[in-house]
Amino acid sequence: MTGLDLSSLAGTQAAGWMTASAEAIAFVVIATGLLQSVFYFVQLAYAGAALATRPPVPRSTTLWRRYSEQAPAISVLAPAYNEELNIVESTRSLLALQYPDFEVIVINDGSRDGTLQRLIDAFGLSRVERFVDQAVDHAPIRGYYASPAVPRLLVVDKENGGKADALNAGINCCRTALFCAIDADSILEADALLRVVRPFIDDPDLTIAAGGTIRIANGSKVDSGRIIDIALPRNFLALVQIVEYLRAFLMARLGLSKMQALTVISGAFGLFRRRQVVEVGGYSHATVGEDMELVIKLHRLMRDRKQPYRIDFIAEPVCWTECPDSLRVLSRQRARWQRGALECFSKHRDMLFNPRYGRIGFVGFGQILLVDVLGPLIEVIGYFLVPLLYALGLLALPWLLAFLAVTFTLGLFLSMATLVLEEIQLRRFPRARELVALAAVAVLENFGYRQLSNFWRLQGWWQWLRKQESWGTMTRKGFATAV
Amino acid sequence: MTSLVLLWDVSLVLCVIGAVALLVLLLARARANRSAASWTQARAAVLPQLLDGPDQPQRLRGTELEVATMLTSELAEMTAGSERAAMLERASAMGVPALLEARLLSRSAQTRLSAVETLSLFPQYGKRVERVLDDPNPDVRLGAALALAQRDDAPPPSLIVEKLRIGCEERSLLLVSMMRDLAEHDAGAVAGLLFEKDVPYEAKVAATDALAIVGPRYAPLLAYMASDSAGESDLQPRIYRALGRLGHPSGRDTILNGLKSEEWPVRASAAEAAGKSGLAEAADTLGELLADENWWVRFRAGEALLRIGPRGLAVLQTARASEVEMTRTTAQAILAERQAA
Repeated sequence: MTGLDLSSLAGTQAAGWMTASAEAIAFVVIATGLLQSVFYFVQLAYAGAALATRPPVPRSTTLWRRYSEQAPAISVLAPAYNEELNIVESTRSLLALQYPDFEVIVINDGSRDGTLQRLIDAFGLSRVERFVDQAVDHAPIRGYYASPAVPRLLVVDKENGGKADALNAGINCCRTALFCAIDADSILEADALLRVVRPFIDDPDLTIAAGGTIRIANGSKVDSGRIIDIALPRNFLALVQIVEYLRAFLMARLGLSKMQALTVISGAFGLFRRRQVVEVGGYSHATVGEDMELVIKLHRLMRDRKQPYRIDFIAEPVCWTECPDSLRVLSRQRARWQRGALECFSKHRDMLFNPRYGRIGFVGFGQILLVDVLGPLIEVIGYFLVPLLYALGLLALPWLLAFLAVTFTLGLFLSMATLVLEEIQLRRFPRARELVALAAVAVLENFGYRQLSNFWRLQGWWQWLRKQESWGTMTRKGFATAV
Repeated sequence: MTSLVLLWDVSLVLCVIGAVALLVLLLARARANRSAASWTQARAAVLPQLLDGPDQPQRLRGTELEVATMLTSELAEMTAGSERAAMLERASAMGVPALLEARLLSRSAQTRLSAVETLSLFPQYGKRVERVLDDPNPDVRLGAALALAQRDDAPPPSLIVEKLRIGCEERSLLLVSMMRDLAEHDAGAVAGLLFEKDVPYEAKVAATDALAIVGPRYAPLLAYMASDSAGESDLQPRIYRALGRLGHPSGRDTILNGLKSEEWPVRASAAEAAGKSGLAEAADTLGELLADENWWVRFRAGEALLRIGPRGLAVLQTARASEVEMTRTTAQAILAERQAA
């Protein structure tokens, strides 16, 4: 064999090795993406089944007639931090909820603005005493405020400790078997409590928590703390988040709930049985994913005790919230969510694929591993390497097409399928053109936004690795009011 | 390679299917919007006929009949007595019950539930509604049972308990409302459930709650049930709360015993019952419960002492200076809250 032959053979071998390596990388990226897609398809199928077989949804008046006598009392806990602009309107909206027996507990979490004074002035509150439990930990309470003229309202003024801390203070103050955790700056639909309490009425011995849908209010018209006209925002980021929220709630949470493997109930709207929440120590302080961790702790408690239980998600009750419409705020929010998921996963990693925790260990934690832990890492690697390797001639066209399928077209189908579910089962968008706009957004989000979103999640990864604990600032503009 | 291309092809096909489905739904929405005008027109025509029309209006068909059916269900929730009876007679003449009967065969549980709730308002359809107790959907069965329970010709409670499969498939708190309605017509039959060996636990709990709402006649029975259910941690507190609602003297000994239970939910509910019954004999025991290990028991005991009146207040004032820290702080907090209120 000549020297030329040898170098040619070595070159061929090197090229073969490089191609094999490129294909191995592409295989990992595509297989992970495909696994995620298959998981989403299963969720979609379960969500479809859940909506098709859900209990009949009565009108509000029928709900009241049927449930008002048996509906258990609820304490609505609304933590507020520097909310002086909206707090009075939000509280009025909460006090106007249609529910037979409820108390609104607004927890002023050491606001540095005039949140407390606004409440005192608007509702004629004065300082009162309250015999409270000390079941869960929180920062010291500075005082309680109430008024005989507004018997359903209690304001708790405490030192700043964060949202979880404020909710814990509310849990200690509440005197009902159920409490509903919400964000003070969100808007609950008037019949939301009557609807979300349903599993606690249908299966009172088993149900320990239930969550409702969060929808985005940007673009909709608000009057006196009520959404009076549902409309789409003009801001592209807000539009994309509407599609994302539909996928998250109508597909993922509904599907996981049907599988009884729900691992998160949004901190903006969840109803819990106080007794079990106290038994797990309430909300955890050292995490930004306190809502997710509470649900995981509840699963762990009930599974460890081998007690039957249910944690449900219901699509009909809606809480409207304002979403970020600037890249800066949205990136901080997404990085924080990612960090929260990683913190929960890391803290409870012994539950992963642990037969003791049944479907929570396999399905719930499997989803966190696939979607939150590995998903963003591998997808971002794919964005860089697969097109590059194809351009260098190391990957054939089918590899690139398969990559596009798992990162683009399958996602597009899932978004459209969610819109189909929304239109068939819920039909919340009053005008057909809004559906058309959302379908267009579902296509457009794949060109830039999806990649950006994964990049923010990588930032969350980095923050988690550096053990960063801050929340960052969530700047809100306030809801558009009717004229 | 083939499988990679297949993945791409399948994803494209799925996208096309998704887009077509959305398009179909949009067209359906556009069509529905067009028919909204005729619906509004029919509503404007039918509403006055139903509310104040002739006693025997003409039989309706198509959109008008659908509108009349929907209005019947809406108006039934807003009317009562002779006004409702007259409205239902007109609806009957229009053909509403026939459409409702047809809807009982619908594949949609939502449609069947709405239909059975409205149909049960018509006096002559009791037997037809009773057949819905065999519906495959538990929510429809419960809806039918709740509707039937409000009728004078309601089937016996034991039959409803069996049809609803209470304890196996049905555990709703709405069973209490149903039992209460049944008890208003035949309290004896509901009380009889408590003595039936085969009646499920959940039905007995609902019957117990319902009897407490009906009146004090069954207080001795509830007191007996409370003693007899020792060890049943879910049932006992509910019975104590029921006894508290009644406030009947026959519950006295049972409530006093409940205050010494080993289960904190029982102690808390017994304390609540003692307060609601104004049971002055319980004051000293309630004073001891101010130092209970469970906050709910301490809270209910303090609340009860305030309700009891001067004797309870005296116990609280003495406790305010107690050497036992828990007793002292609880009493101080309860009294401070009362003074500030």
